[in-house]
Amino acid sequence: MMLLGATAIEDKLQEGVPETIAILSLANIKIWVLTGDKQETAVNIGYSCKMLTDNMTEIFIINGHTVQSVREELRRARERMVAHCREGGKGDEAAGWAQACSLGNGVRGGDQAGWPLPQEKEKPESGGRVPSLLESVSGEFALVISGHSLAHALEGDMEYEFVETACACRAVICCRVTPLQKALVVELIKRHKKAVTLAIGDGANDVSMIKTAHIGVGISGQEGIQAVLASDYSFSQFRFLQRLLLVHGRWSYLRMCRFLCYFFYKNFAFTMVHFWFGFFCGFSAQTVYDQYFITLYNIVYTSLPVLAMGIFDQDVPEQRSLEYPKLYEPGQLNLLFNKREFFICIAQGIYTSVVLFFVPYGTLAHATQSTGVPLADYQTFAVTTATALVIVVSVQIALDTGYWTAINHFFVWGSLGSYFTILFIMHSSFLFSIFPKQFHFLGSAQNTLEQPVVWLTIALATVICIAPVLAFRFLKLDLKPQLSDTVRYTQLVHQKKRKPGISGGMGISGVGLGARALGRLGRSASRRSGYAFAHQEGFGELITSGKNMRLSSLALATFASRHSSSWIDTLRKKKHANSANASINSANASANSANASANSVSANANGQPHTPPAPALSNSSSLSGSQDTPPEEVGLSNAQEAVARDGVHSGATSHSNGCTLVTSPEAETGGCSLGAVQEALFGWRGVGARVSGASSPGPPPIMEESSPTE
Amino acid sequence: MKKGGETLNRPDNTAFTQQRLPAWQPMLSAGIVIPGFVVIGLAFIGVGVALFVTSQNIQTLERDYTGVDQSSEHNCFQCLDVKNCICALNFTLSKQFEGPVFFYYGLSNFFQNHRKYGVSRDDHQLFGDTFYFTSPDDTCSPYKYDSRNRPIVPCGSVANSMFNDTFSLYQLVGGQKKQVPFDGKGIAWWTDYNLKYKNPSKVNGSLANAFIGTVQPLNWPRPVYELDTSDPSNNGFLNQDFLVWMRRAALPDFRKLYRRITEGDYADGLPSGNYSLEINYNYPVRDFGGRKKVFFSNVSWMGGKNQFLGIAYLVIGSLCIIMSLVMLIAYAKYRFDDEDS
Repeated sequence: MMLLGATAIEDKLQEGVPETIAILSLANIKIWVLTGDKQETAVNIGYSCKMLTDNMTEIFIINGHTVQSVREELRRARERMVAHCREGGKGDEAAGWAQACSLGNGVRGGDQAGWPLPQEKEKPESGGRVPSLLESVSGEFALVISGHSLAHALEGDMEYEFVETACACRAVICCRVTPLQKALVVELIKRHKKAVTLAIGDGANDVSMIKTAHIGVGISGQEGIQAVLASDYSFSQFRFLQRLLLVHGRWSYLRMCRFLCYFFYKNFAFTMVHFWFGFFCGFSAQTVYDQYFITLYNIVYTSLPVLAMGIFDQDVPEQRSLEYPKLYEPGQLNLLFNKREFFICIAQGIYTSVVLFFVPYGTLAHATQSTGVPLADYQTFAVTTATALVIVVSVQIALDTGYWTAINHFFVWGSLGSYFTILFIMHSSFLFSIFPKQFHFLGSAQNTLEQPVVWLTIALATVICIAPVLAFRFLKLDLKPQLSDTVRYTQLVHQKKRKPGISGGMGISGVGLGARALGRLGRSASRRSGYAFAHQEGFGELITSGKNMRLSSLALATFASRHSSSWIDTLRKKKHANSANASINSANASANSANASANSVSANANGQPHTPPAPALSNSSSLSGSQDTPPEEVGLSNAQEAVARDGVHSGATSHSNGCTLVTSPEAETGGCSLGAVQEALFGWRGVGARVSGASSPGPPPIMEESSPTE
Repeated sequence: MKKGGETLNRPDNTAFTQQRLPAWQPMLSAGIVIPGFVVIGLAFIGVGVALFVTSQNIQTLERDYTGVDQSSEHNCFQCLDVKNCICALNFTLSKQFEGPVFFYYGLSNFFQNHRKYGVSRDDHQLFGDTFYFTSPDDTCSPYKYDSRNRPIVPCGSVANSMFNDTFSLYQLVGGQKKQVPFDGKGIAWWTDYNLKYKNPSKVNGSLANAFIGTVQPLNWPRPVYELDTSDPSNNGFLNQDFLVWMRRAALPDFRKLYRRITEGDYADGLPSGNYSLEINYNYPVRDFGGRKKVFFSNVSWMGGKNQFLGIAYLVIGSLCIIMSLVMLIAYAKYRFDDEDS
């Protein structure tokens, strides 16, 4: 035999994937990988993107082919976890992962407050414990489940068991899953957990999942545009997900919550005045204000400042959001806008309306101008109340705005200016002479606003409305500062110290930060390569078997129980024939450890200008010896990882998105092989405000370390 | 990296689109909030003291002359069911009532702020637009036409219900009644008198001719062009009392300026002594449980007596000071570290 040449196919992780995953999991986001890859590939990807680490307590691999075996494996996994918690002497750990399980609340009404659903029978110990550290290192488990097992696990009677077990694990990897199963898994989470789900993927086989999840994100790579077309958001790199969630998602949530609160507040402050006035006008539906004030209040006088806040507000700068992933948690816990916050807004609005009515009532009732003319006429009262209202809500928005851009200034001052301008125009004699009926407030503005008593009244009302809010916020900031307050405070102090007048540089520093964050997390002791290429059948048979088709769940269950044995038997036969590949982990690990070192050396030897053939060759040659694999099916992700692990981050990473298509067995069976971590399913609870939020399920899990920089 | 096609959907790298606008990021720091509260508190207390003292120095005199209950001061109970009745209210000033003195009448439980009452007027008419003399605005209904279908000018409830008690004040000096001159000029808003209300242009030199074909409001004894028999220029829509009445009150208990006492011997105020207020008792208030009152008051830079404002300022100012102390304690005890790195 003469060696004519060797080919290699590269299919490596995108830049920044491990860092992104690390940051996202620090933000209390549960990540599931759903991949069509085979198990060893998936596991290796899991390692390379740091979802799986060597420090994990245990990794449960579930690849049973019968209902019984899957159930048994799941049960064993749970027992192991519980046993570990007990023997570890940390009773709270069980609660820790139970807490981890309960992905948020509020999406579905929240009467359960995020605890496991009541049909849970097998694991009574998982519910209702004291919430504790989710990120306790000693309790890290991972679950790897294959598509065949998943087919059983998704059946009606087992799905809940599966969800509970999987959620107790820190990492879940589903491999060899069909596109439909991806969607089913997402749906499973949506059904059983009060979580917001996000699906991200780049291939056509991710479309169903992207469409099923609450938020679908498409990566526009080289796998076509299907995922992008089906998605809500799309970008070209997986690592941008951290900016999407931690920066923009977070800001969006913050802004929306503040926006909503303020809207309720200002409208209650505005409207309820009429209710109080009703007691004094015989409930005759007499409005307190001029009709044009009512028309313009919401659209001209008070809309733009809150809009500017809703667009520009930032509590902490973007790089801080990435540095402190825990800042993401208020959204998951539904803290910024829930029933309580809603009622606080309403109460504040009502309080303001009381002040706005009764302060002018008290002062104007018997007041007179300095010319002796009484001030308690209707039009003076209307102008006084309206002016006080506009000033109070403007001061309130000024207080709510945390990020005063020039536009905010323009809108706030502009709104006040427009109020007075329009007021004087509406009360002018010019308009009155044309439409006497409509503009009968002629002269009120001038007569009212030149009275010192009126201004004293307005000042009094403003202080009574705002001072309690100010005091409350200050005390809250002082006694119970949120993480965002602390971060903001520190940021501002540093900023001042560093250079007065220079606003914090806000470059995109995702990768760098991510790398730093990883420096803390990166504790992989053994060197693992991310490659695996053992020949194995794909999920073609799984699809043709008709499992997990969208039938009614009952029919599905019976169908499964009847037919499962036959196709699984064929699979099993094939499996045994291929037994060299069956024991994946051990074989791989040993082969890879040797391999990885070779890789890293070669990569380093090759230097920064990236030359793909060289590591590819070293790879295939070293591995073709150990396992009988067609040489054209080498997934070459390890070279990149080796480089990355060695800390060389930039130079060698000039390749494209990393999804080189492999002519692998998967291609025949219809599933595209994907680059990197192609799909991750995130349980996250935070995008968007939820009006029907529920109470939070208790204190959030505390993170041991929040900042990599300190 | 394929850079070529990527830039198609790329947002501009501007501070605006990338959310990097320079911004002022205020923080509720102790250095601002606590001194702020102290300053506001002190300012409010200062203003409050000024307001309170000023208000205390203002003299007022208030009398109810409804006549529903007997009183030794007046005999208006006689007039409850009598037309064109005159009653007198006697009062004594123990010390000089500093001038200029303002004289008000007051009504209570009278809902001038009722919506349907309030809209029952025709601003076109009142602006002197004679087109609306023949066909008043629909809002005036049911005081739009009289029983013989003649248009009412000025139409509507507000005009129809105009207060028509009249007052004259006498000082009792040695058994003699000495009239205190009332000044009824300029008691309405300047804008009302000069801009908002206009008489129709005279026809053949007479204001009355402009109103031919119309009738006076049902409750009125005289038409609008004869409201003031003593001063012909004070008639029509530009009658001061009419203007004062038409500026409707915000609250059901209100007072309206009737006259000033600025002339003659009383320009410096009302000297101490006995006074008698003669009241032409016409206006019925018993049906709706109302009360009629008269007020004498003088004013300061901030207007008439206004206890509420001064007290409110003092209370709020004190609360601000207390709050600042609470915050200071909380800050000293629980402040989070500024420098943790």
